[in-house]
Amino acid sequence: MANMASDATASAAWRARLSAYLARLRRQHIVWVICALGPIFLLFVLIRVYPIIETIRLSFYRYHITQRNRPFIGLANYERLLEDEAFHTALWNTIQFATLALVLTLLLAFIVALLLRSIERAAPVYELLLYIPVVTPWVPASVIWKWIFDPIYGVLNYVLSLIGLPKLAWLQDPNIIIYAIVLVSVWKLMGYFVVVYGVGLRNIPDEILEAAELDGATPWQRLRYIILPLMRPLILFTVIICTIIYFNIFAPVYVLTASAQGAPAYDLKVVITEIYQNAFVFYRMGYAGAQSVIMLLFVMSLVGLQYFLLRERN
Amino acid sequence: MIKTLLCAMLALLINASIAVADTATRGKLTIWLGYPETLEAFKVGEREFKKLYPNVELEILTFELREFEAKLAISVPTGTGPDILVLHDFLFPRYFDGDALDTVPADLVAMVNDPKIIDKPFTDIVARDGKPWGVPWWTGRSALFYNIDHFKEAGLSGPPQTVEQYWEYAEKLTRKAPSGELTRAGVSIRLTGPSGGTQKFGYLYYQLTGEQLLEPGAKPGTVRVTINKHLDAAAKLLLDHVTHLHGAKKSDDWALKHDAQGFASGAASMFLREAWVIAFVKKNGPDINFGVAPMPRGAAWGAFNFIDILSVNKGSKMKSAAWDFVRTLQGQKVLDNILEVSGWIPLRKDRDYSAFIAKEPRYKPLMELPAGYTQYIEAPNLAYEEITTRVGEVIQNGFRDAALLNNMDGAKRVMQRAHDTAVKLLKEQDIYSD
Repeated sequence: MANMASDATASAAWRARLSAYLARLRRQHIVWVICALGPIFLLFVLIRVYPIIETIRLSFYRYHITQRNRPFIGLANYERLLEDEAFHTALWNTIQFATLALVLTLLLAFIVALLLRSIERAAPVYELLLYIPVVTPWVPASVIWKWIFDPIYGVLNYVLSLIGLPKLAWLQDPNIIIYAIVLVSVWKLMGYFVVVYGVGLRNIPDEILEAAELDGATPWQRLRYIILPLMRPLILFTVIICTIIYFNIFAPVYVLTASAQGAPAYDLKVVITEIYQNAFVFYRMGYAGAQSVIMLLFVMSLVGLQYFLLRERN
Repeated sequence: MIKTLLCAMLALLINASIAVADTATRGKLTIWLGYPETLEAFKVGEREFKKLYPNVELEILTFELREFEAKLAISVPTGTGPDILVLHDFLFPRYFDGDALDTVPADLVAMVNDPKIIDKPFTDIVARDGKPWGVPWWTGRSALFYNIDHFKEAGLSGPPQTVEQYWEYAEKLTRKAPSGELTRAGVSIRLTGPSGGTQKFGYLYYQLTGEQLLEPGAKPGTVRVTINKHLDAAAKLLLDHVTHLHGAKKSDDWALKHDAQGFASGAASMFLREAWVIAFVKKNGPDINFGVAPMPRGAAWGAFNFIDILSVNKGSKMKSAAWDFVRTLQGQKVLDNILEVSGWIPLRKDRDYSAFIAKEPRYKPLMELPAGYTQYIEAPNLAYEEITTRVGEVIQNGFRDAALLNNMDGAKRVMQRAHDTAVKLLKEQDIYSD
């Protein structure tokens, strides 16, 4: 009996030692995690979270950089947004541009990736070629396109004239300029999504497709019932990334539409150029803050909606 | 003991005085420029300045104009920024209201206030209650630039004298391809860049009405909008533009090269711009045979000016040296360089530019002004960029609207909208004047 009691005591002591050791390990782990992630988290807060909070705060003030008086004005900046035609035009243009550019970019990228899957050996060469515009910075790329679009000296109009089509004022006609910017954007970003879709397509096991083929599935049925469902998470990812990129479009619009004195272009408004103009040309920081907050909420809602519609379901 | 203490204090005092004197004669003087073409004039001034301050280093940085404005806006209110503030007239109120400008020394005050040296409209821009806060330096004066060969070819003996002739000549100078496509603009109209568009539309508006679209208000820094007062003339002017952009009298097109580049490449026969165009076209279109004339006249006759002003940053640690450099920039050699290299016109009237004009007579209409030719300047204000941009957007959208052809009521509605846009923005900034 005494032996049993002493065994129980020893076992309890052993268990206590073990749990103390585990607790110490856990504490050390937490310390380790804090040490490892803390600085990165702090940096993230400093360069990502703080500016957002500060922008939200600014949006409630009449904040003009050069003026000392910066009164709190509540929701006045947001009220002004409701009747600001320039902002409405910019928002509508951005929605049109982003929708068109997103659909074209992802659709073309998917088609090209599908085609490249059938020429697996040569695919990397094409992917590399298509990727070149992705690594070209926006500004030089846009400057090159500005020349291509030139109504008199531009190569695009020259090509159109060769096939008997009339010349177009790509950057001067308000009805056409949005397509010109879509064209540049698709050219610039398609390569990235070809590579992403290429990786996704290569990960679909050949056996599944072959089995479907043996079962008599047509290419369309294989695409519809095998490839697309398997690619769904990747499509969700690309749609979200593309939405964020295109709603934040700035450099090509700025460069292509900036009316250099000799080559005037139509001043196409998009939300980011409006924010830039209000903040850094008119110095209405508070108002630009309100525009940024609305833009943030809009894009977040859109991304949320896309996630809801495209997420994987059991 | 007391003797030793006194000696120590004296030594400290002497040391401190030497240090203060040293700060004034040793260190770095910073200048930022938004018009890089004036850099060379500053370099000419630097050579003179170095004779006075051999130990002061001059750091002159040039930026793209908008970037320059943004840098100033961010730095000066925090007590930093360059020592010398080279401000355009429309930026001036921002820094005056922000209490960022140092008091101008008495000799320079006397110079600025002397109408024999600086014309009154330019002094008024930098003065508050009769006291100047900067030295007006150069102006970008408007004029008409015309291609002499194109004029001869169209059988026109000289530049248009009136606004009516201006449009009439534009039609005669226009060249079209058999397809009807314009190959040469009779007149290059400012069709894009809304802020500049307001300015250029305003050039002709002034000739027709004797007032600018935006006039200085009763209190300095406030603005009066005149469009409503001259609604018929404003609408007529808009119609003139629309008529020459659409339909049978079309004399310009968005697809053509515009402005100075268009003129320098021979794609346009005439246009309204400022003095710098002479230097630009000589450099970029050396084969273009062109002339310069005063603005075409209407009920009024005048040239638009936008001026550059030299002020010293109140936060500068080298104010005395900075003002000495401003004095150096008034020298004949510096002002000659401004003229020759950048094409801007120095505002000092007591200097001799005759040798330069003899060498380049195209400056004569810009510098030897005919009697009755008014010099006017825009109304500087805090919301300048925003108002000119938004009003310009309304006007330039009107240019694109072919439905306005022969539609006076439609044109009036557009100009009324431009008026309301300006009033709304001015009221928001509390700088509206009735």
